[in-house]
Amino acid sequence: MEQPNALIERMQQGDEKAFAEIYSRYSKAIFGVIHTILHDTEASEEVLQDTFMKAWKNASSYAIGKGRFYTWLLNIARNAAIDKTRSKEFKNTQKNLSTTNFVDIIATTDNLNRKTNAIGLKAFVNALQPACIKIIEYLYFKGYTQADTADELEIPLGTVKTRARTCMNDLRKLVGVEI
Amino acid sequence: MNINELIASGNLELYVCGALSQEEAMRIDKAIEAHPEIKAEVERIEAMLQTLAEGAAPTLSPTTWSGIEGQTSGVRSITKASKRTNWGAISGWAAAILLLGGIFMLLRQNNTLTEDLEITTNENIELNEQVISSQDQLAETNALLDILRGKEFNAYTLPGNDAVAPEAFAKVFYNAQEGVAYIDIKGLPEAPDGKVYQAWSLTLNPLTPSSMGIMETAAQVEEGIYKFENVPAPEAFGITLEPAGGSASPTLEQLYTLGTVTP
Repeated sequence: MEQPNALIERMQQGDEKAFAEIYSRYSKAIFGVIHTILHDTEASEEVLQDTFMKAWKNASSYAIGKGRFYTWLLNIARNAAIDKTRSKEFKNTQKNLSTTNFVDIIATTDNLNRKTNAIGLKAFVNALQPACIKIIEYLYFKGYTQADTADELEIPLGTVKTRARTCMNDLRKLVGVEI
Repeated sequence: MNINELIASGNLELYVCGALSQEEAMRIDKAIEAHPEIKAEVERIEAMLQTLAEGAAPTLSPTTWSGIEGQTSGVRSITKASKRTNWGAISGWAAAILLLGGIFMLLRQNNTLTEDLEITTNENIELNEQVISSQDQLAETNALLDILRGKEFNAYTLPGNDAVAPEAFAKVFYNAQEGVAYIDIKGLPEAPDGKVYQAWSLTLNPLTPSSMGIMETAAQVEEGIYKFENVPAPEAFGITLEPAGGSASPTLEQLYTLGTVTP
């Protein structure tokens, strides 16, 4: 999907309508990432609001052509979600769910507005190899660097990239067709 | 690394995830700019990852957006006014106010001083006048004294009439040569309202009074001393109390003093 650069530019100039469109395009995926980290709908909504308010206020810090806009949003969202997990109020209400990954989240989340086939996605991610689940979890949902991911999984640095390619390409074959 | 190698490397996946170092990411930025195939591959990876994440998203409440909109709407477009306190302007105004207050005070003070000066000047003028008038009076008194001390003047005391005013008396200084008499009535009680003292010169055989005039219209040369001129040589002086304006002949029942002139 091509990046909506014209919309992004208008948002950077303070156009509130453009900002609303950006929100409708990206909020769902960003919400999913936040929810995968927090496992809590209410807290995730708060962090999603926080993420987009930061994006609005700091829109000029994104430069078109220097990385993807989605990647930029993703970084804001993951950082905000991780900050939330460190907050006292959040710690007090949460059980230890550190072993829960995105596959569990997708399996247990009811999403009425999903444009892809929910049952197909659930079935596919359930079939993902544990190694793929881990590498996608770390690189994408948790925002680990290549080196951190290699350390965490105890695999060589180069393997992180090739495995990421293999795992994500497989995933694309299913879900990517319908996009 | 050619295009296909780059696509197969896994660098693009890590690029979208934000897991590359800044240096590596900049290389991908350039490759995307240069090769549409790479840009298309990046977009496909991004779309897949978005779809995956959307699968993990619970149904999003519309109030989430209203919350964002409520806090961001109009927020960024407003230029924040400088909150720095402008001490320069404040002290400028303060100085101006103080200066105005100072000027006002000085003006008031100046006014008060001018008024004080006027009052003092007026007082001075009054005192000067008093001094002058005192000097005049002194000169007149001295002049009168000189006159009365002169050998031309004889002094006579007119005793009170026992029947009317036993305590009263009057003094007459008379210059027979010039026919001038000064009458001092300090020893008479004050004339009641509507009455005046009238002076008479008398010849005794037969008793003939002729009016010298009333005190009211005579020239008062000093407090209680009156000057009469053209007084014919008398044998006696008398003072009666008469109705206002005086009488043609003396009212003897109201004769206060009477004294004879001894040659």
